[in-house]
Formats: sequence, C-alpha cells, structure tokens
Amino acid sequence: MVIGVIGALVGIYLANYLNSATGTAWFSFIAALGAILAVYYGADAVRRVASYGLGTGVPSIAMLSIGAGQIAVLLGLAVAKNYGVEVAGPVIVLILAAIIGLVNGVMARRVIKMSITVLEMSMTEIAMAASLLILGFSTAIAGSFKFNPIMSYVVASGFIIAVFIVGGMAMFHPFNACLGPDERQTRTLHLALATGFIAMLVAGIAAGAINGVQAAVPTLIVAIAGWVIYYLRFYADTKQDAAAMLSTGLIPLEEEVA
Amino acid sequence: MFDLLLWVWIILGGILIGAGVHFIPVGGAPAAMSQATGVGTGTTMLAAASGLTGLIGAGTAYYTHPGDFAYTIVLGGLSAALMISVLGFIANVMYVYGAGVPLASAKVKYDPISKWRQDLYVSRGTEGHGTPMASFISGIIGAFLAGAGGALVYFALVETYKAIPGFSATFGGYPAPYYVSLAAAFAIGIFFLNCVMASYNIGGTIEGFHDPKFKRIPKSIAASLVVSAVGGLFALLISVMLPGGI
Repeated sequence: MVIGVIGALVGIYLANYLNSATGTAWFSFIAALGAILAVYYGADAVRRVASYGLGTGVPSIAMLSIGAGQIAVLLGLAVAKNYGVEVAGPVIVLILAAIIGLVNGVMARRVIKMSITVLEMSMTEIAMAASLLILGFSTAIAGSFKFNPIMSYVVASGFIIAVFIVGGMAMFHPFNACLGPDERQTRTLHLALATGFIAMLVAGIAAGAINGVQAAVPTLIVAIAGWVIYYLRFYADTKQDAAAMLSTGLIPLEEEVA
Repeated sequence: MFDLLLWVWIILGGILIGAGVHFIPVGGAPAAMSQATGVGTGTTMLAAASGLTGLIGAGTAYYTHPGDFAYTIVLGGLSAALMISVLGFIANVMYVYGAGVPLASAKVKYDPISKWRQDLYVSRGTEGHGTPMASFISGIIGAFLAGAGGALVYFALVETYKAIPGFSATFGGYPAPYYVSLAAAFAIGIFFLNCVMASYNIGGTIEGFHDPKFKRIPKSIAASLVVSAVGGLFALLISVMLPGGI
C-alpha cells in the first residue's frame, strides 16, 4: 500500500514540477511510472478481495473502482483549483476516492449483503489506487496535474476514456488471467507490471499527440523496455510454476488416428 | 448551489440503470457455452452496454435538439433497446443454426408470453439455451429502462456543465465542446458504479422478469440510490467549484 500510494504521488508531483521548472514535457513519463506503481497496488488489492470469490467475476470490482476513481480525479482537481491549493490536488483526489470507495463498500456489504469481510477496506483501497492511476496517466498525457490542462488535453480530447478502460484492465487482468489453485502473488504482480507498461504505452501515444516528441519518446521507450522485461519475467514464472510444458502439435485428423 | 432537480435526475437515472438490468436476460459464461438461458455475457457488461448506448443516443439527441428532455430520454432508451434486440437476435441465430440448440428456458414449463413448452427442449445437464420469447421481450424492456437511465444522467450533467463559463470551447478541430466530454466522462463513472451494484445483487445469471431472482430488485434500488446520490453529488459539485470557469 505504501509503495503504491507514496510512489504514485511522488511520480505525479515530480513530473509536474520538473516539467514546469524546465518548461518542457520531457519528464511526463515519471508520472506514468507513478501510475504503474498504482497499478501494482491496485492489482494486489484486487487479488486480495477476489480470492474470496466475488460471484460475478473479477473485472466488476476493478471497473467499479475505476469509475469511482474517475469521479474523484475530476472533482478533486476542481476543488483544488477553487480553493487555490492546486499543489494539494493529488492528495484531495486520494481522499475523495477513499470516500467513494468506502460508500461503495458499505453498500455492497450492508445492503446487497455480499458476505466478504474485507469488502469495505478493499473497495476503498482499489478506488484510491484507481484514482492515482488515472491521475498519473492523465498527468503523463497533459504534462501537469492542474485542472485546466487536464480538462483541455485529457478530458476534452477524449483520452480520459482510453486511460479509463486500459487502466481498469491493468488492474483486473493480472488476477483474472492467473487465478486458479496454483496462483502465486509474485507471478500475478509481474503480469500486473507488464500490463501497466502496456497502459503506459497507450498513454505515451496520447502524450505524443498532445505534447509532441518531448513527451512521447521517453514514455514509449520506457514503456516498451518495461513491458519486455516484465513479460519475460512473467513467462519465466509461468514455466517454473507449470507442471510441464509440452508441445503436442496439431490435433490429428480422424483419418490419421489409426 | 446547483439545481436539486438535476441531482434527482441523476439518482433516478442511476436507479433505472441498476433496475433495468434485472429485466435483461443475463446468461454469463454458461450462456456463452449454450448451457444457460440468456445473452452470453456478464451483468456488469450488459448493464454498462445498455447505459453507454443510451449515453450515445442521448448525446446525438442533445446535439441535434439541445435542451429537449423528452426527446433525449426516449432516444436514449430506444438506442439501448435496439442494441439489445440486435444482440439477442444475432446470438439466437448463432445458437440455433451454429450450435444447433432450440431456444428454451429451464426455469418455467411454459413460456409466459408465447405459451410454448420449454422443459422438453432443454438439453440434459444444462439450464437452457439462447433467449426465448419472454426473456427477449424482458430484455427489450430492461434495455429501454437502462438506456433511459443513462440518458437521464447525461442530460442532467450536460445541463449543469453548459452553464460553466468557458466550457463551450472545443478542443482543436473537434466539434464537441468541453461540457459534452466532461458530462460523458462523469456519466461513464456513474454508470459503472450502478452496473456493478446491480451485478453483485444478481450474483451471476438472471432470465428476466419471470425469474425468481427478480424479487431482489428492491435491494438494488436502495444501493443504486445511495451510490448515484454520492456520485451525482460529486459530479454536480464541479459546477460549484468552478464559478469562474476554465
């Protein structure tokens, strides 16, 4: 939890202030790296709650929380702008996301009567991770986390929807793909990081459309390198955990079977 | 502050999305294998699909007739109903001609609307196939409600954000102004809150209004009411937080 929240916040703040200090967009990729730490945290939280058996599938809880996170991001940045504390924007976003996540958890547990003990805490955590994820990738696209650039470059251009979907998938895909009796946390989290780097690739393409080469090149290079590294680690983990890996060839035709 | 009537529209829209999906025949993964009645996908995605199609229909309606409440809601509902009927129909064609199974429900002996016999045609070991008549009609009703709910949420948000100064600007060469994008982004967030609450309530599959699980709808209405109220409050507070515009 600490790595996810602190890491993401550090990434977002660093990207914003380095960008504005140098007047360029070279440092946008740091916010995307922060968002990947939020993916790491979110995927781990999804893993913890989905192990109890949600009954409706793993994607639902991640999409719920990313919807909550999106509302929190937009309102949090507007609140920060209204009260003149733009510097505290990401922290306000985090608090609002925790509030929505808690309301969702209480409703799911007390009204719908889902019998999962950690549901309130988990929904709060996943909503916080989701909000930092959206804020991180949006900062990478827009270059700063102030409300005006995010509104103009990310929401009005429609890139926020891409961040929404690909961010949600980055949170639920690892556990959804790895679940089963032999699921191991390390392998799931390696896949989470690999999927996070794919999301960073998407954010890099969007950042290129907004801020040009300065934002796109570092983001795309780091995203592709990160994806290759973590996907190879995931593949090595899979080979280690599998009982055996056989190459059986194509299914034989009826005539070929003696 | 903000217009309280718009907050009521958002809450009502959220409730309609959550309640509407209880009418849609959700089959889940078993239906995708022709082993359960209904459309072969999960509740969350069907509810989101109906709500989002309602959003798209409402967006078109609002763009061509700004401020027209009835037109927006009805067009949103009809878009979603059209979507679900095409979806159900094509899926049925694939089940009948592709998988070779008759459309039947395992939960009732005679279909409530067509009065055709059902139980003789259910393959042993399964819970039904495809989307028979009552489920299909129920699905159209449910999608219309969910689409109308989506349109209500979008209408309320777009009416609020139009009043913020500076939000009529557009991004580059796109024709859509800021308030449309912001309303759509918030509407999608509110949709997913309601869709997943409904999904948890249904807990897997439901065949439509004739399914015993349909009686669980009050719990979904209560949960949707609270999450839409909170989500809607957050969405409407943006207009309060930006008196000076962008």
